[in-house]
Amino acid sequence: MNRFGLPPQILRLVLLTALIVGTYAVARTLLTPATFGQYGHYRGAALEETASRKPLFAGAKACDECHSDVSEKATKGHKLISCESCHSASSAHVRNPDITTVKLTDNSCLRCHSSDPARPARHKQVTTIEHYPGDHCIECHLPHQPNKSP
Amino acid sequence: MKPSCSRRRLLGLLAGGAGWLASLPFARTAKAAVKNVFASAKTPDGYNPTKHHWLMCIDVDRCIGCGLCAEACKAENAVPQSSNYFRTWIERYIIKKPAPGVAALRGDVIVDSPNGGRNGFPPTLVPKAEILKAFFVPKLCNLCEHSPCAQACPVGATFDTPDGVVLVDPTYCIGCGFCIQACPYGCRFMNPDTHTAEKCTLCYHRITRGLQPACVEVCPTKARIFGDLKNPTEKDPLQEFIRHNKVFTLKPHLGTEPRVLYANIDKEVR
Ligand code: HEC
Ligand code: HEC
Ligand code: HEC
Ligand code: HEC
Repeated sequence: MNRFGLPPQILRLVLLTALIVGTYAVARTLLTPATFGQYGHYRGAALEETASRKPLFAGAKACDECHSDVSEKATKGHKLISCESCHSASSAHVRNPDITTVKLTDNSCLRCHSSDPARPARHKQVTTIEHYPGDHCIECHLPHQPNKSP
Repeated sequence: MKPSCSRRRLLGLLAGGAGWLASLPFARTAKAAVKNVFASAKTPDGYNPTKHHWLMCIDVDRCIGCGLCAEACKAENAVPQSSNYFRTWIERYIIKKPAPGVAALRGDVIVDSPNGGRNGFPPTLVPKAEILKAFFVPKLCNLCEHSPCAQACPVGATFDTPDGVVLVDPTYCIGCGFCIQACPYGCRFMNPDTHTAEKCTLCYHRITRGLQPACVEVCPTKARIFGDLKNPTEKDPLQEFIRHNKVFTLKPHLGTEPRVLYANIDKEVR
């Protein structure tokens, strides 16, 4: 008997349990990442880390700043297409206009306009062997006003 | 003999224990609040994930199969170049006419996706006369309400964010690949460099900056409709899409409740 009035084996058991629970509590506090549980049962900082990548595509609005003339003149058909669909990821060019954008060829037109039975019929399509073979598309079609010729 | 533990003492101990248990939830809330002050997970420009809910829908009728989305996705997210790894891709469905004399509405279904459609589609080898109909189907993470991938993950590395995206925490992922097997839509892959599972993040780094996902940005025909359910704009593209189309989900019998809706899709699409 001791001053708690408990048999020694019970006291030892209580102390041991307290030690285990205490160690668990300390370990849990130390090991759980700081933002765990901020939004749910996961690390809240994972959202921030996923969002920290740098975008490569600048977005259609970015081009307007310096090339608003192009987007204003663009006509039916190609008006709704984002600049970067054709000119490809250009955020480097937006930050520094000296870095040129990708050079475009006839293949970039044909990617959208070569005929394919799986394409919706209302989409304007051409067959290369029939549609003025040997000439470049932009010799007859302005890229931003495709129904006009230069 | 004096009893070793008096009734008064035992009752007191029990009451104390009950009080401690009852105070746990408050202690936890207080702890979380303190932690938030010290380590707040704020996304770019004060973006608050609880104030948005993103969604993408697909109008199959508009897709022309140019493959710019698959190409842009790879570039934007540094997806490994090999043709085994995709976060989004395009499939070409060609449904043949039934063989002569066969009492059927349609014949064989041929599905191909050369390099995920990333370089566009070469002309099909099926002669035009044999084709009943054909169309392109863009695929991406279906953003399931009951995600099998999140349920399969043994370490809780995959989760639903408050803004409607399913993300992978690469620091938790142990690369076991269970989620890749669990996804019925085949939307995940194992990154060969990091050995962690990867998937479409709806371009989380773009939408948190007010940009559109790369695939939506480059789509020339608006076949991918993207919007924020919590902040509908005037003439919101998503609301218009729902109003004007009859929409379906992929593999509805699995009970995954995909949030991504497809319009004008055919029975053959899986
Ligand atoms: C349909 C594809 C397409 C789209 C969409 C498009 N471009 Fe072009 N763009 C071209 C082609 C093709 C050229 C000619 C390239 C050459 O001559 O090498 C070109 C040339 C240019 C040039 C240099 C020549 C000039 O006309 O001044 C600028 C600047 C330009 N584009 C800006 C834009 C901007 C800004 C947008 C978005 C509003 C845009 N483009 C959208 C295809 C496109
Ligand atoms: C900071 C201003 C600025 C912004 C923003 C900008 N450009 Fe340019 N861009 C220029 C300048 C300057 C030139 C060179 C014009 C010249 O040489 O005539 C140029 C030239 C071009 C050309 C012609 C070919 C080349 O690379 O020299 C294309 C195509 C083009 N820009 C596309 C784009 C697109 C697409 C965007 C949007 C993602 C964009 N630009 C945004 C300043 C800008
Ligand atoms: C990113 C896909 C894409 C690219 C690349 C593209 N186009 Fe188009 N084009 C379209 C779409 C979408 C339309 C509008 C739908 C339609 O009417 O077919 C269109 C329409 C047209 C039209 C019909 C315009 C009208 O008003 O009837 C012509 C001509 C055309 N494009 C020529 C070109 C040429 C030339 C190029 C290469 C410089 C090109 N396109 C590159 C997507 C593209
Ligand atoms: C020699 C000039 C010339 C060249 C080169 C040329 N086109 Fe055309 N294209 C035309 C003319 C003229 C029309 C309108 C009359 C017609 O439908 O043939 C047209 C129409 C189109 C149309 C609309 C078809 C429709 O059904 O209304 C598309 C799309 C098109 N061209 C794409 C291209 C592409 C892509 C290239 C490059 C591979 C190209 N063109 C090269 C002159 C040309």
